[in-house]
Amino acid sequence: MLLAKTLTSSTFKLALIAIGTFGLIVSGILSYVYLSTSSYVRGRSDRAIKSECSDLLAANDRIGRDGLAALIKQRVADGNWADHVYLLVDPSLAPLAGNLQAWPSTVTTEGWTEFRVPPSSARMDQPLIRAMLERLPNGDRLLVGRDIGDLDSFARQIKMAVFLSVVLIFSLAGVASILITRRTVGRIESINTTSRAIMLSGLDKRIPLRGSRDEWDRVAENLNLMLDRIEMLMSEVKQVSDNVAHDLRTPLTRMRGRLEKAYHAQRNGEIDQSLIGDTIADLDAVLRIFASLTRIAQIEAHTRKGAFCTVDLVEVVGKVVELYDAAAEQDGTCLTVAGDRAVFAVGDPDLIFDAIANLVDNAIKHGRAGGDVAVASEVVDGTPVISIDDDGPGIPADERGQVFKRFYRLEHSRYAPGNGLGLSLVAAVVRLHGARIEMLDNSPGLKVQVWFSAPTT
Amino acid sequence: MTGGHHRILVVEDDPETAGQLADSLASNGYQVDVAANGSEALSRGIAGGYAVITIDRMLPDIDGIAVMRRLRDGGVAAPMLIISALGEVDDRVRGLRAGGDDYLVKPFSFVELLARVEALGRRSDTVVKETVLRVGDLAMDLVSRTASRGGKDIWLLPREFQLLEYLVRNEGRIVSRAMLLQHVWDLHFDPTTNIIEVYVGRVRRKVDGQQAYPLIHTVRGIGYCLRAPR
Repeated sequence: MLLAKTLTSSTFKLALIAIGTFGLIVSGILSYVYLSTSSYVRGRSDRAIKSECSDLLAANDRIGRDGLAALIKQRVADGNWADHVYLLVDPSLAPLAGNLQAWPSTVTTEGWTEFRVPPSSARMDQPLIRAMLERLPNGDRLLVGRDIGDLDSFARQIKMAVFLSVVLIFSLAGVASILITRRTVGRIESINTTSRAIMLSGLDKRIPLRGSRDEWDRVAENLNLMLDRIEMLMSEVKQVSDNVAHDLRTPLTRMRGRLEKAYHAQRNGEIDQSLIGDTIADLDAVLRIFASLTRIAQIEAHTRKGAFCTVDLVEVVGKVVELYDAAAEQDGTCLTVAGDRAVFAVGDPDLIFDAIANLVDNAIKHGRAGGDVAVASEVVDGTPVISIDDDGPGIPADERGQVFKRFYRLEHSRYAPGNGLGLSLVAAVVRLHGARIEMLDNSPGLKVQVWFSAPTT
Repeated sequence: MTGGHHRILVVEDDPETAGQLADSLASNGYQVDVAANGSEALSRGIAGGYAVITIDRMLPDIDGIAVMRRLRDGGVAAPMLIISALGEVDDRVRGLRAGGDDYLVKPFSFVELLARVEALGRRSDTVVKETVLRVGDLAMDLVSRTASRGGKDIWLLPREFQLLEYLVRNEGRIVSRAMLLQHVWDLHFDPTTNIIEVYVGRVRRKVDGQQAYPLIHTVRGIGYCLRAPR
């Protein structure tokens, strides 16, 4: 199974291509080494024979046939020339001097020749001789050669070495690539197995790490992080749908009960009127939840980045404060606005308005009745920031991250009007803008700061 | 007022919604024609004579926005109210840019629809350029931006003046909270709290406080209506 996967894997195919290319190059180089080495060795031997041959010819010219024969005999007797072969024959091929028994039958033409001779002793089998044949002016023939058996076996050895190293390289590379491919395929296979397990059962499986800190571990780590994120999102979605179900079911049940009761009761104009009115109000609440949820979803889907422009935060804050002025007054809250004269950020003015309106709404609603709410827009270290401060009960530090979750409501505000979606919308707007929201202790109260990004000039 | 000013074309593909729309408009004295698709809307609309045309954004054949554009190209000047299930700002802007005069997001209350149709229908009446608006003993000077009741000045913030002006201009008609938010504040969002009620309450205290009769009336579940007693 794994082997089949190894052989069909792309890594293995790539390895084969690499081995093939590399092997061809190595074979080429080794062949060149073989050819040049053997031709060099042969050339040297040939040059030695040639020079010996011309020495002897010169001796023949100088001292005649008998002198040559004597010289040859002297050479044969000399151990320094042991690997040389000499034969001087008269025109009838009768040997005059030399260490060959008889004229080799295969040698007829002048120039280079190779032949085997019967061994002079039992020590070797038919040594291979490379020799040069010269005709002397008097019709004699002179054969000067060398036993090239050693040379030949040297060349064969080189050839063998070349062949063996090519084979060795190929087989080592083959084994290595199978091992590497197997390892790769194995890691991929473990990722695949986990993926399949996840598809089959659930998101709780993770790809095992080997602790080698290599690229495979990093891939596995990232995939695991992705799985963590997906699992978190899934549980959030589940949480949200649970909450949606709860928040919608409550008014829907109320409506259903009311209608059912009315259905079985006698018609009574006045009661019916108020019943229908209440039902419409409940339906509106349900629809408002839907509208908020789809709006948050739309903001989160980044569909509105096209509307980004330079936004005057002072103007936005001014508009929000003006809109909530009356509501604050009714609440006995003192709503004030402060900050720098010019604060610009990049964003969608409508969405920033919504977010700030929600935060101001919260500050008035959840702040101290008769307290102070201060809204300020300013530039801090080049960053445009809007802060909304109240002096109410604030949010416990450990709950500050939770309040941005959909439908999350603090214990003490559970029965205040609202659907627990306002801060989720704020969070979505903040995320879309790449902004940062901070909730700080205003002691007493809450200080919310939204840090936007300044327009690039 | 000619009969044409009471005719309304409702372009809506869902038969039940269309029926409800037609009924509620008819019970308020309008003559209603229904077009169930884009091509019918085009033929009826071009034939003309409507005081207001309401157009559903999603139609089975031609997109509502395209219908609107073709009607405008065909010389139809009647105010058009876009009714859509898509409430996003981009979508609203696209609709208004294509020639729509107002935008209503589904689901809506029929009172809201009526209020909008009334406001649009009035626009097709001749608009008199007045500098002083009067309702009962309330007078609004649009040039000096001052208001008075029975000759006694009422001190109003600029936004409060705008709000009162909008109510006065729609004298005798119901004005919804969303309409106020849209026309006085130029906002298209849904405030979860009762900020509009509180705002109107403040204007009402200034306008109606210690007066012989109230001008601003609350219409339960929908909005307000400014009118003088007959």
